[in-house]
Amino acid sequence: MVTRPDRDGEQQLRLLDDAWDKASQHWHDSMARQFDTGHVTPLLRESRGYLEALRKLMDVLEAAERDTEG
Amino acid sequence: MTSIHADIDALKGLHEALVRYRHAQREVAGRGEEKIRVIRASLEAKASRWRAELEQCRAEFGACQERAAQAAADGPAATDDPVDCSGYARAAEQCEERLEQIRRWQQRIDAEASEFGGIASRFGDLLENDLPRTEEHLLAIIRSLEAARRVQVTGS
Repeated sequence: MVTRPDRDGEQQLRLLDDAWDKASQHWHDSMARQFDTGHVTPLLRESRGYLEALRKLMDVLEAAERDTEG
Repeated sequence: MTSIHADIDALKGLHEALVRYRHAQREVAGRGEEKIRVIRASLEAKASRWRAELEQCRAEFGACQERAAQAAADGPAATDDPVDCSGYARAAEQCEERLEQIRRWQQRIDAEASEFGGIASRFGDLLENDLPRTEEHLLAIIRSLEAARRVQVTGS
């Protein structure tokens, strides 16, 4: 079964989020905080924004497909 | 691995996760673009089919109207069985409605895809430029931690 790209993207985002949680359990010095605010947080934020936009667009595309069938 | 190196192991795991994430999201983005292309092509094919159908319906309606006009011109005897063109007219209207419905979807998708394009472009830039820099930065941190503990660098 072919899954929607936005859902796969969200799954990948969860995996990355989990990896960061795991890493931050062992790494919590000032360098970790800088890495979080400078890299991880912007990456997760941008990814969520992109995936939300992708989800909305996929919804519209599917609706168009359904509505013009036949 | 001893627990003193647990942080390095965790960072290596994070580095691997970042690399996997970059490749996976590139693939996701590619599939998203492909889906847009496929649906646009599908709508265009449907529009083309309905345009042809509309042309046919209009031709049939026109021919019917000509028959009706001819019957009227032939006099009252010919109008005992009047030519009814309403079915052709309805069919042409339905074709126009279907075509208009497809056009509206095409316009909406153009607008939505255009808006999405800006967001996708920024995300693509993040995947191609920012994320590799993040990975490099993390590798440098890992190497510095390993060097500080005299841990031999392996597989990085």
